[in-house]
Amino acid sequence: MSTVLQDRPKTVVVDVARLRRTRWHQQPRWRRLGALLALGALLTVMTGEQGSGKDLLYSLRGSLTSGRLWAFLGLGVAAWLLAELGAPVRTALRRAVRPAARARTWAAERRAVRLGGVLVVLALLIFVPLTLSKATNQVLVDWVGIYVLLALGLNVVIGWAGLLDLGFVAFFAIGGYSAAFWTGRLPVQPPVHLNPFLVIPVAMATCLVAGVLLGGPTLRLRGDYLAIVTLGFHEVIYLVAKNSDGLTGGSMGVFGIPHFSIDLGPIQYRWKLDPLDYWWLLLGLVVAVVLVLRRLEHSKVGRTWIAIREDEVAAAAHGVDTVRYKLMAFAIGASTSGAAGVVYASKVGFINPENFPLLYSVLVLAYVIFGGMGSVPGVLLGAGLLAWLPHALKDVVDQKDRFMYLGALLVAMMIYRPQGLLPARRRTSGGAK
Amino acid sequence: MLRKRLLQTAAPLVVGLLALTGCTKGDDQASADGKKLFKIAYEGPLTGENAALGAHMENGVKLAIQQANAKGDLPFTLQYVPGDDTGSADQAPAAAQKIIDDDAVIATIGPAFSAPTKAVGQLYSQANLLALTASASSPSLTTLGFTSFLRGIPNDNAQGGGMAVYYAKKLKAKKVFLVDDKTEYGVGLSAVAENDLKKAGVQVVRESVPQKTPDYTAVATEAKNSGADALIYAGFYADAAPFAKKLKEAGFDKPKIASDGTNDKKFVELAGGAAEGWLLTCPCVDPTVEPGIKKFTEDYKAAFKVDPGTYSAESYDATNLVIEQLKALGTGATRESLLAAVKKADYKGLTKRYHFDEKGEFPDKAAFLYQVENGKIVYKGDINVLAGS
Amino acid sequence: MSLYEFWDYLVPGVALGALYAVIAIGYTLVYGVLQLINFAHSEVFMLGGFGSLIVLTAITPAHPSALGSVLLVLAGLVVSALVGGATAFGLEKVAYRPLRRRGAPKLIFLISAIGASFFLYNLAGKLFGRDPLPMPHLYDNNVVFTLFGARVTITQLLLLGCALAMMAGLDLLVNRTRLGAGIRALAQDAETASLMGVDTDRVISRTFLIGGLMGGVAGFLFGLNTQVSFTMGFNPGITAFAAAVLGGVGSIRGAMLGGLLLGLVENFDVPLFGEEWRYAAAFVVLVAVLMFRPTGILGVKLGRAA
Repeated sequence: MSTVLQDRPKTVVVDVARLRRTRWHQQPRWRRLGALLALGALLTVMTGEQGSGKDLLYSLRGSLTSGRLWAFLGLGVAAWLLAELGAPVRTALRRAVRPAARARTWAAERRAVRLGGVLVVLALLIFVPLTLSKATNQVLVDWVGIYVLLALGLNVVIGWAGLLDLGFVAFFAIGGYSAAFWTGRLPVQPPVHLNPFLVIPVAMATCLVAGVLLGGPTLRLRGDYLAIVTLGFHEVIYLVAKNSDGLTGGSMGVFGIPHFSIDLGPIQYRWKLDPLDYWWLLLGLVVAVVLVLRRLEHSKVGRTWIAIREDEVAAAAHGVDTVRYKLMAFAIGASTSGAAGVVYASKVGFINPENFPLLYSVLVLAYVIFGGMGSVPGVLLGAGLLAWLPHALKDVVDQKDRFMYLGALLVAMMIYRPQGLLPARRRTSGGAK
Repeated sequence: MLRKRLLQTAAPLVVGLLALTGCTKGDDQASADGKKLFKIAYEGPLTGENAALGAHMENGVKLAIQQANAKGDLPFTLQYVPGDDTGSADQAPAAAQKIIDDDAVIATIGPAFSAPTKAVGQLYSQANLLALTASASSPSLTTLGFTSFLRGIPNDNAQGGGMAVYYAKKLKAKKVFLVDDKTEYGVGLSAVAENDLKKAGVQVVRESVPQKTPDYTAVATEAKNSGADALIYAGFYADAAPFAKKLKEAGFDKPKIASDGTNDKKFVELAGGAAEGWLLTCPCVDPTVEPGIKKFTEDYKAAFKVDPGTYSAESYDATNLVIEQLKALGTGATRESLLAAVKKADYKGLTKRYHFDEKGEFPDKAAFLYQVENGKIVYKGDINVLAGS
Repeated sequence: MSLYEFWDYLVPGVALGALYAVIAIGYTLVYGVLQLINFAHSEVFMLGGFGSLIVLTAITPAHPSALGSVLLVLAGLVVSALVGGATAFGLEKVAYRPLRRRGAPKLIFLISAIGASFFLYNLAGKLFGRDPLPMPHLYDNNVVFTLFGARVTITQLLLLGCALAMMAGLDLLVNRTRLGAGIRALAQDAETASLMGVDTDRVISRTFLIGGLMGGVAGFLFGLNTQVSFTMGFNPGITAFAAAVLGGVGSIRGAMLGGLLLGLVENFDVPLFGEEWRYAAAFVVLVAVLMFRPTGILGVKLGRAA
């Protein structure tokens, strides 16, 4: 049985509930009003002042006695009125959106237009960062680029093969520490020193092996069990990085991982501190990974993954070696993550265990789901947007509250658009009803 | 099918990127009153776990800038720029780059912590932008080849060494139980202490307890069972407090000493009676006790409604050092000329005399001892003097 | 490690284990009825701690009398239970019920839970400050008696007592009451249960409520033992979750056993391997058990296959 994506028929449950009599306050209309008012109160609290440990109720008191409360409650009532009485408005809105949707369908059906669109986006991604500030470019590389790559890898594991992996960033860490090892920066010396470019395949292979080693014994576990085991795997990798001073440098981290460089006779180039160089490198990697994944998705392997995800028992009954294919998904995802680790380590030149906390494994998972599980463009967009969001919010909302808004966004998204921003076609029709 | 989705991706991405482009703004080099504008940045944790520590330092920097502007004898106007690296290495490059990108920034006070310094030292060096830290104390920082990094504080060798000297000479301890919190700071500091203790012939039992451990009972028990006659904790107050409570419950009543990360009022508030008698070290002097800086404390309180905390005075000093040099250079100052001037500076601050060796290291070794007495952190004086060495 | 030291680590291990067990029950209960990892349960725990902290800070005098201490502890227990229960109840209404109505896939629940967890702990950090806070001084945490040389303190007894009482109560509730029958029926087959007249929505709501009550109390006890902060839920939450899985997620007795086991492993890990490997030891035990019993120690039938 596929574990993660299993649906349980709920229609029966709902119908039975409907048979019961409802009192006035249980009617949807009044419930909606109550919910909106509660939302208004919550927003008031969320946008209040920062509290302090000295007077625990300071922030709450300030918010609930301010005029903002009434403004938000008023907005709630207004929204409710609009929902109850605004049928014509909604029809008009829907009509206004229709031509846009039609244009989209028109464009999507024409190959040349599609290809053109992709090229335009790619060109923009290549050239627009030239005009941006370096600080923005740092964010683009450190967070957007790296996390898009990670999300692409995780998408294979979770979106296609349906394996719930809560420890994905462990492979990112393995990649980073591989880079440190093969460039001779760890306390243990490698047999040969390698250029970071050469470390990429080596790190990918290392992660592949690590993925198989982890997956081999654990992939027969059911989804939630797999989740906790992968989470534990992350914790163990993190602790090894932190505690094995003689192997990984421990909490002090690893300093001085060299930059990328090309040295092929006439062609010579050295990556430097400039984030732009790394942005283009990452862009190249992402494009390469996307191309490979697209081949995979529509190959026998990709279809087998979907089969396993949808119903493992049925797939096994059809003669699919499910463990082998699951292992393959695990290993491919892990190696993508490893490549990202090498780039990151080399770009910053310094890594320490705190670069790979458990929180980030959870974040990457959220990015994948947010974008649309199983859909490559969705994952690209979702990861890009969400990774960038905290930095964009830095100037808009109080910096300390960034993750609060991110959390609220995730919940709202799951309630109103669970299939993600750009869902995979197969999922829109089947999975998320 | 997939391509359709790709195309759908295009529209919002383009819009987003264009919006991003629109965001990059030009710098305004002149302030409202027509004088040239220089900005002084602070890089440290303004959010996250260590935000409280970061706020102490930020206020020190802010106060120095406010006072310099208010005096009215500067040929330029100063402005404060915050840079939040949350105290972690992965947030630091973006924060530092934002500071560096702003051409009006002439100097940075920070990075406040050691790990972020390692991640961004090269960025500052490349930009020739002075990064003068008032708190990052890992000894290795000045050996990594950063050309614009200066340290305005004795490094961990002074503090770790001070603890060792105090135990070895003053208390004549035979066996010390040494605990670090597994952060870069704690591990580095306890390594120094361990080394110096062993050199003095004292036996050391070392244990590492990661931050936010849910229960310190086990390690407190181990401390008691180890038979050690003194204890060192290298870490922050949020973890030192529960540890202190559990030590008391376990019945460990030997001398206990903790490092500057614990040297905070919050430690006493959190640990309550269990904090009583703890010794605390710091390469910093107490701004509320040390004579001669009473005025600073009063000004600080007036400006921020709170007492100055750990490293407030040091940050204030570092900022004033920069401002003094900047004043000498006048409106023609550049990042390069200021960096060169500060490297050679010899400045008498509130807390100590500031000067730097050729690596940017602070050459004087000093560590000060405090003790928790009746719920207050009381300043005792120079640890080496107290130990009688 | 001498025998004498063995008892020294056993006592706090059992106390911590009891705490983990109580939190783990919250995970396992919800998993039983919804097959959902309620990631936000750690925030229920955290808010329970804050709820009791706020009330106790307001009402605790400087030097409470003996009777006063008892009453204050009771007040803390009640308030934390109420806050925890209310949080879990609200969480189910807001973050899970709309998804359940739509029959969304399980992953969607998980992400909603993660989002809710982020939201709640950061909101708590915003409202109550981001520094850890001490529980007011309710009593002197003296040693009550020694057990083969190991010191047993009031807090440890309190932890153990509350945990045992709650577990016994829960066991009775699940096995003896109508609601308990509903919970068990839902855990076995939700669809059939609803056809047999079990009000699914109500049973699920109350399950969350019960898990929340216990989680909230655990938060108060944890705060009493150490301190309260907005991130305090994370580590105990993960460990308790691991404990639930170790015991066999969905099985209440399994959660108790798993919690106790991990509490002991974490404490004995200190003299054996060093405190820094605390979590690694817990997870190694977990993986080792899952190798031989893929559904946990007391795990039974789960789903259709493998």
